[in-house]
Amino acid sequence: MSAIHLKNLVKKFGDFTALKTMDLEIADGEFMALLGPSGCGKSTTMNMIAGMEEPTGGKILFGERDMAGVPMGRRGVGFVFQNYAIFTHMTVRQNLAYGPRMRGAGKAEIDRRVGAIAKMLQLSPLLDRKADRLSVNILQRVAIGRSAIMERAIFLLDEPLSNVDAAFRAVMRTELKQLQRQFKQTMVYVTHDQLEAMTMADRIAVMDHGVLQQVGTPLEVYNNPANVFVARFIGAPGMNLLKGRPAESDRGLVIDLGPLGVTPPLPEQLVPAVRAARGEVLYGFRPEQVTLAARGLSILVSFVERIGARTIVHLGEGESAVKAVFENDVGLSIGETAIVAPPASSVRVFDAASGLALRAGG
Amino acid sequence: MSAVTATISKGKMDAATGKPAQRDEGARLGFRLTLPAQILVLFISAFPLLMQLYISVTDWSPLSGVGWWNAWEMWNGFANYTDLAADTRFWSALKRTAVVMLVCVPAEFLLGLALATLFADDFPGKRIFYSILLMPMMVVPAVAGYMFFMLFQSGGPVNDILSRIIGAPVTIAWLSDPNLALIAVMIADIWQWTPLMFLVLLAGRVGVPEDQMKAATLLGANAWQRFTTIVLPKMKTIIVIALAIRVIENFKIFDTLYIMTGGGPGVATETISVYIYKVTTQDLIWGYVAAIALAILIVLSIVAVYAMKRMAKTREMTA
Repeated sequence: MSAIHLKNLVKKFGDFTALKTMDLEIADGEFMALLGPSGCGKSTTMNMIAGMEEPTGGKILFGERDMAGVPMGRRGVGFVFQNYAIFTHMTVRQNLAYGPRMRGAGKAEIDRRVGAIAKMLQLSPLLDRKADRLSVNILQRVAIGRSAIMERAIFLLDEPLSNVDAAFRAVMRTELKQLQRQFKQTMVYVTHDQLEAMTMADRIAVMDHGVLQQVGTPLEVYNNPANVFVARFIGAPGMNLLKGRPAESDRGLVIDLGPLGVTPPLPEQLVPAVRAARGEVLYGFRPEQVTLAARGLSILVSFVERIGARTIVHLGEGESAVKAVFENDVGLSIGETAIVAPPASSVRVFDAASGLALRAGG
Repeated sequence: MSAVTATISKGKMDAATGKPAQRDEGARLGFRLTLPAQILVLFISAFPLLMQLYISVTDWSPLSGVGWWNAWEMWNGFANYTDLAADTRFWSALKRTAVVMLVCVPAEFLLGLALATLFADDFPGKRIFYSILLMPMMVVPAVAGYMFFMLFQSGGPVNDILSRIIGAPVTIAWLSDPNLALIAVMIADIWQWTPLMFLVLLAGRVGVPEDQMKAATLLGANAWQRFTTIVLPKMKTIIVIALAIRVIENFKIFDTLYIMTGGGPGVATETISVYIYKVTTQDLIWGYVAAIALAILIVLSIVAVYAMKRMAKTREMTA
């Protein structure tokens, strides 16, 4: 019942297309993150699931049930707003009790449920405080509690952590995940923060400009981005992408990167797809997987960022800029030439024209 | 006035606690700069009030031959006030005014609230209806009075429409029937002042955060529950303001009414304002008029102070 199925979903605002034919299946009890930069259509998608916006085309199914024309109050979804939408003229208790009260629950039952949810979210000492005098961190928990108390099978969260401070965000990431494990709701979580998506979600739907780019587990989208957008967007810093042309050499198929030289031979499983590609390709590898080697791409170090746990080395500039991330520290300084080599297993190649990944069998 | 005094004493306190004298100086400069305005305020509010208080304890009349400043010659103690307490015409006028207020203000409020709720959502032709709805408010009250005077003539449009509905000739003597005249007057007041109520309440209704309404909907509240649990509590302050404005204004109801009925037939529509007007212009006992006006001022001030206190309280609660 609480699986969500989006079929050819389209949303237009006048001439502007906010969402282009989106297909997505969210399984019952799954934690799905909709991830993308602002304006990518993720909030629009969520508003349509909640019933706040009517789709221009396509269908939304909860289980087998078509939600077309079902008003938002009848969809049975929990919703946490980005700005929380707390009822500021009420106390925390009245906020939490609102849903059950509107449903005509008895006083004893309301007290019991409010007590339970307040205990879980550590709101018990604050129950009789006016909601307009609370810090953002607490408002955030009240917002979650107010929705969670309804024990709805579908729970939608619209960037719930974007206003709270970093330390509290880390705490809430864990708590939200635990909340979902406990109640097994289907959760849809909209965020532009990949860290939130990676840490909490079972699967991530990466979106850009109203188009669904890739759906997969956090590791899938990190390890095997479907296209250049996902490769750049996921990871901090994103994947290095260098423009070049496939070239045959005596050691096998390589990519000629122009001024940067020639890459090591491509791994076997990429060769057929890359050989079939016409024109330019992008040679990609994760900054975290770069190692210093005797043979490889030699590039000038332009900047070194040391942030304790990691050191980010900026190499080259412009089109041929590469970032490399090393644990703790690395013996490189500005002006030196580094010879970097990505391990063959971490290399990804994309078609420069279409932006799509060139993969074995794909 | 009192605000300025408060600032000055605060300035002194700061000086006493050893803080730099800057603040004290600032307060003094502020006092000097506002002095002309304060004198003006003194003349237009405090002075007439004191004059009124002075005349209210005398038998002074403009025909008495002495200047008002010499009214002490006609000192009569509190006779005006004891007369007032025994003046049945005054008390019945006060009662009538209260009846008009208790009918008109709630009617205007409920109509205004209903319209504001309607206009919070979009519907075709909203702008045109909005302009039409606000029009009565812009009609000069005297003109509105004459309009309703014509409408309620026994051969006028109101009776004409009624007879068309019933299918038999209707000749109700609206303005000369002691019971109906008051109703006609109240209809005119409601027609003219519902738009103001609507305008003020609409401003309040539009200020209700849309996301909280959505949140309530998603939590299962139906339209009526949203109205009672979100809309009304959020509009509390503005409702108090709107009611206070109309209570005070309605209490002073005069121009429309006077043109429609002149307070008649007999004294059937004689409200406080009409009574004061008659005593002032016909009986010319100004000492007595001053006493009535002062008594009413006190009553209205109590209403205003109560409303203000309520407002401060709700603001504290919803800020």
